[in-house]
Amino acid sequence: MEWSQYILVGFVFASLFFIGAALALNWAHRHGQLSNLEKGAKTIFDDDEPLGEVTDTFPVKRKKRSPKGI
Amino acid sequence: MSSNPSLIESLNPTADPSVDFRARLGEVDESMRKPAMLFLVSAVFWLLAGSAFAMIAAIKSTNPDFLGLTEWLTFGRVRTAHLNAMIFGWGNNVIFAVAPWIMGRLCKARIRHTNILLIAGIFWNIAVTIGIFGILRGDMVGVEWLEMPAYVTPFVIITYALVGVWVVIAFRWRQSEHVYVSQWYILAAFFWLPWLYTIAQVMLIFEPATGVVQSLTNWWFAHNVLGLWLTPIALATAYYLIPKVLGRPIHSYYLSVIGFWALALFYNWAGVHHLIGGPVPAWVISAGTVASVMMVIPVIVTAINHHLTVVGCHKEGWASPTIRFVVFGAINYTVVSLFGSAMALRGVNEVTHFTHYTVGHAHHGVYGFFTMIMFGAVYYMMPRLLFREWRNAFLIKVHWWMCGMGIILMVAALQIGGWFQGLQMNELSEDGTAVYTFLQVVENTKPWLWLRSLSGLMLVVGHFAFAINVFWMIFSPRTQDQVTQPTLLTPTTEEA
Repeated sequence: MEWSQYILVGFVFASLFFIGAALALNWAHRHGQLSNLEKGAKTIFDDDEPLGEVTDTFPVKRKKRSPKGI
Repeated sequence: MSSNPSLIESLNPTADPSVDFRARLGEVDESMRKPAMLFLVSAVFWLLAGSAFAMIAAIKSTNPDFLGLTEWLTFGRVRTAHLNAMIFGWGNNVIFAVAPWIMGRLCKARIRHTNILLIAGIFWNIAVTIGIFGILRGDMVGVEWLEMPAYVTPFVIITYALVGVWVVIAFRWRQSEHVYVSQWYILAAFFWLPWLYTIAQVMLIFEPATGVVQSLTNWWFAHNVLGLWLTPIALATAYYLIPKVLGRPIHSYYLSVIGFWALALFYNWAGVHHLIGGPVPAWVISAGTVASVMMVIPVIVTAINHHLTVVGCHKEGWASPTIRFVVFGAINYTVVSLFGSAMALRGVNEVTHFTHYTVGHAHHGVYGFFTMIMFGAVYYMMPRLLFREWRNAFLIKVHWWMCGMGIILMVAALQIGGWFQGLQMNELSEDGTAVYTFLQVVENTKPWLWLRSLSGLMLVVGHFAFAINVFWMIFSPRTQDQVTQPTLLTPTTEEA
């Protein structure tokens, strides 16, 4: 291919990248993903793995803890 | 909605996700067990194979005659086999285990079509096996990070497509309102990788560009595999596991959003700094250098978030295998990225270019950052996938100490030795001739390479400790399980 064709290919793919990013940003804004963010930070916690509870320790130490919830 | 939706139903763009039901984490884990374990076990095998190739290559750098009569194991082949086994064998397999698992958990929906992931796992490991075999027999492609022979490409494309489709389906049917920052990173990575791979295939393999354009495309691709594939997945994992394990939200969620978009904006430009000093238009290099320095923004933002989330929880963090590895990786993300920005400056690059400093930097990123975070993820995942516990805490500690100290020694040896190597190669006498011959520089570098081999040996010990624990856990009888909180989850919905 000529260098101009490479530029064309590059331009097309670069456009895809930026259009994709712009669409994603627009979608996030329209669906309220960019508002009330601090609330969103807590969405990874639930009843199974709640906020305020450490959910991983070394096996040896775990044996000393009392069983819970089983 | 039927109990087992068909693929057509799942892909239907007009379907309403709200008709589906919310799943508990235990159900998600149980559904993900088979595909995740297929990828994890494969990843561990490739980790051991890649380590073996690495040790052979490391020894050859100080003792070139070692296995020198075996053409399959000459330095050029075995070093390339090491790179591909680690990046595509270990790295991609563990990514295909961890990223869908995190995505599934965050979507809080029932898991659909795990067969897609199982088929992808088979295709992927066939691809890597054929690819490594091809490299060893001398079939490699002369493009950095794309060395696997072209006949592997269809398997690679099918795998990326299958895993990508699965991730999109999982996201499409999510039952969570908020899209957590880890989901942003994972979705972006699964969009960026096919994009990178397609351009690289077109411009480097099928219609190879010539001259400068080829080099530019090559380094744009290679650097972005690290920055737009391994990095977002590792950051997604850290953003999920650090708050999750410690039971506290991320320090500043606002900053995490800024960090994501800054990475998307700047990283794509940075790769061409590998060609500083080359016959490349100066503005291209300048653009790459500016973008590399601008990467300080997402790096500092991420550093603030990761490190301040852990502050005050050091005791709990130290007690957690996951946090030990993930925080070690997060710290190294900060350090390696700032080093990388500095290396993109022309004055620094004059010394570090063509030296072991760059090799140290690559290991710092791919191992000190990415791999350590993935180890942490495996320590969190496997007890939940298998509903059983890690068999031996001592082996976890051996793994952490050997790999942690090993990679610090490796990076220090290669970067200090590489810096001296660069200074010696550049040093000129008053009449403009080189002070050191090339052979003298090589001889002076040898002690640092021995240290590199020693550090590699430490990593190998750590990898064996990890592998023993993994297989011990998989094959131990279920009756030996210590079913206790908090590592294991509360019962799934059915059991409850």
